[in-house]
Amino acid sequence: MKVSVLFFGATAEEAGTAKAEIDLEDGIGAETALTEILDRYPKLTASRDRSSLLFAVNQEYVRADETVNEGDELAVFTAVSGG
Amino acid sequence: MGLMFFELTIDPLDVGEIARRVVPEECGATVTLDGYVRRFTRGRETEYLVYEAYKPMALKEMERLAAAAKDEFDISNVAIVHRLGKLRIGETSVVISVAAPHRRAAFEACEWLIKELKRTVPIWKKEVYADGEVWVEGE
Repeated sequence: MKVSVLFFGATAEEAGTAKAEIDLEDGIGAETALTEILDRYPKLTASRDRSSLLFAVNQEYVRADETVNEGDELAVFTAVSGG
Repeated sequence: MGLMFFELTIDPLDVGEIARRVVPEECGATVTLDGYVRRFTRGRETEYLVYEAYKPMALKEMERLAAAAKDEFDISNVAIVHRLGKLRIGETSVVISVAAPHRRAAFEACEWLIKELKRTVPIWKKEVYADGEVWVEGE
């Protein structure tokens, strides 16, 4: 299945793009999806722990047991720094 | 349900105008945070900042926070406006205005909202110095 992946700020620079379309296995768990994304974009975890990245599915912070479906909008970004 | 509004804009923010928009007749006080760009951070001199947002998610998070604040504090109206793009020193980056029947709840809700905004709303700032730049990562 195809999903889109968005990156912002530091993760966009490291991924070399703000948006990508990737192929994932149907109905994959969110944690596994994140692993797949980080495997494709190793610079995201080159200088920080995976645990410091935030992961959203369809514009909401991901829940532990969530699955990812065809057409979903995923986003991977660093801890936020607005204000 | 009171008036709530949430905006992201690249235009300069007019703090007074935002604050006046949330004033209802039943309220007695509006507390407004005017957050602006500081020259020195961790001893380093900033030339300017660039803010970027995951816009649709940021607006949803602002709305969620305002709803949570209304549940927690005795307040009526909330405005949250964040500027994006390039900001110079001293320019306003964020305005949070909370109107309430009495000031104490407005102060408490405003403090809670900025703390939560800095923790959960997907907006990032890049600090640009004379000799480099860095995307700031929150805690």
